[in-house]
Amino acid sequence: MESLVLNGLINGLIVGGVYALIGLSLTLLYGVLRIVNFAHGEFVIGGSFLAYVLFNSLGIPPLLALPVAAVSFFAAGWLAYYLLIPRLARSDDPEIMSFLMMYGMSIALAAVMLLMFEADSRSIDYAFKPISMKVGPIYVSTARIVAFGVTVVISAALAWFLYRTLPGKALRATIMNREAIQIVGVDVEKLSAFAFALATGIAGVTGVLIALVFPAFNAFSGAEYSIIGFIVVVLGGLGNPIGALIAGIIYGLAEQLATVFLPQALAQIVGFGILVGTILIRPTGILGWRAQR
Amino acid sequence: MSLKTNAAAPRASERESARRIYFTLAAIIGGVVSVYFVLVPVLKLNLAFHFYLMLWITMASAFNVASGFSGYMPFGYVAFYGVGAFTTAILVQKLHFPVLAALPFSGIAGVTLGLMFAPTLRLSGIYFAIVSLALAGICRLVITNLPEEVTGGSFGLHLGSRAEPVLSFYVMMCVMLLALGTILWLSRSRLGKALRAVRDDAEAADMMGVNVVRVRLYGWLIAAFFPALCGGVEAWYTNVVDTETAFNTLTTAKTVIYAVAGGLGTVTGPIVGAFTMVWLDELIWREFPRINMLILGIATVLLVLFLPRGLIGTLLRRRPQWRRYIP
Repeated sequence: MESLVLNGLINGLIVGGVYALIGLSLTLLYGVLRIVNFAHGEFVIGGSFLAYVLFNSLGIPPLLALPVAAVSFFAAGWLAYYLLIPRLARSDDPEIMSFLMMYGMSIALAAVMLLMFEADSRSIDYAFKPISMKVGPIYVSTARIVAFGVTVVISAALAWFLYRTLPGKALRATIMNREAIQIVGVDVEKLSAFAFALATGIAGVTGVLIALVFPAFNAFSGAEYSIIGFIVVVLGGLGNPIGALIAGIIYGLAEQLATVFLPQALAQIVGFGILVGTILIRPTGILGWRAQR
Repeated sequence: MSLKTNAAAPRASERESARRIYFTLAAIIGGVVSVYFVLVPVLKLNLAFHFYLMLWITMASAFNVASGFSGYMPFGYVAFYGVGAFTTAILVQKLHFPVLAALPFSGIAGVTLGLMFAPTLRLSGIYFAIVSLALAGICRLVITNLPEEVTGGSFGLHLGSRAEPVLSFYVMMCVMLLALGTILWLSRSRLGKALRAVRDDAEAADMMGVNVVRVRLYGWLIAAFFPALCGGVEAWYTNVVDTETAFNTLTTAKTVIYAVAGGLGTVTGPIVGAFTMVWLDELIWREFPRINMLILGIATVLLVLFLPRGLIGTLLRRRPQWRRYIP
């Protein structure tokens, strides 16, 4: 039992890291652009499929797929921003309309992935050497440890970017007050495009990590990750990057420990329960922080 | 004094004539729609297509009460539909109810679920949408994990040899007419006006003496009742219910898309939207079955970008003076 709990804790940390990244990119999007990206899970799974294609047809290992995913998704996000968002901003209620548009986007992207890869679950048949490592008394697969290392590096880099560099500070300032930042002379349009591209880039990278951490993924997995992303974002406070990181870890731990203590079916409900509970009891999230309107 | 009455009199008569046009239009539309659907089985037209057309009109119209009238976006709308479907199926299959006696219980189940979700009405905007989505997920998981003797497990429930396509078609028609009648009444009634006032500015409405909580709840329960009935009738029509199809997110997606395509907040909007989109969907499905979903997704994106107010909404925006004539 003890080793089971320990196992749950370690895996929770690893899985939670991935969730934290999904939540972080989603919360950036919401904070800066007021876009509720229902298609985020599909962006993420798109990254997984990119890693799959790179490995199976070109033999590129997943770790090298990371920069490829980052760059290509960043570029795609930049393009998508200019195609979609300026027009969306003109509607009566951009927030709800963004949700609806991204709903459509998620259906379309899932359909595209379904056409390309069929409905079967896919996994990347790549093994690190050694295949697993001993952490304390339990064994953890090397792929998961590597993925966790990457997660930590990316989160640290993003935290540094958001809190220590000028563009990062501008991004956070946009989250806090979109009007005021324009008075100071920041080109919000460009900054928004950058935020969208950055969030998409992170999503792509997270997708590659998911291919390492989870046994399989398919064209329909996206919706699941979108919902997890929402839970993490709400738990951390809408538009709060640090909150999202912490909430991701908490959610990962809760999910993995729930599978230890509860039957499979109930464990799935735990996630939804956390979401509903947080919103009803403490809508500002665990850190009690809310983006200003 | 006399000047005042003179100024008021033509306005009153104008309003009277506007009212007359409004109700004449409503009656004509209602009459044409009912006659058309009544004739479908008689003329041996495509029964399934028209059954689903009525189903989507009902779903989109009821959704409109929650979104267009009350300003909520329940992205877990399928929960009501699924619970309604399972209520009818369980009552018929396990407790041997006659189908027609089971259907009202689907409606009651929908209203009960609506009452259970009522605490979420104090949320707004995106919070409400996300919670609704999560609650639908919980409903699906709970029903999936009920004992197999009750819900039939992953095989679902079969209603056996109770299929009566034509009768269920007419029952669906009754449900649709009931829904449209309710919404037509709602749009002119005190409750409907109160709902709109609360949607636009809850505090101001509260100041004017509107019981905000109660008005919201009534609107919400109307919106919960009809999808549950739809679920029940559809279960009867297809003769089988399982969690995968009864709680399919696509049901919500289609409902929302059809309602938005026509225009939220008007009575005719969701009808026109469902008509257009179901017809388009059928056309696309027949021509390109493999990329049906892809086109549905892209259509949604384009709709939001280029026609966010929907067909009727855009029309009324161009011609605001028609607002008083078009239901």
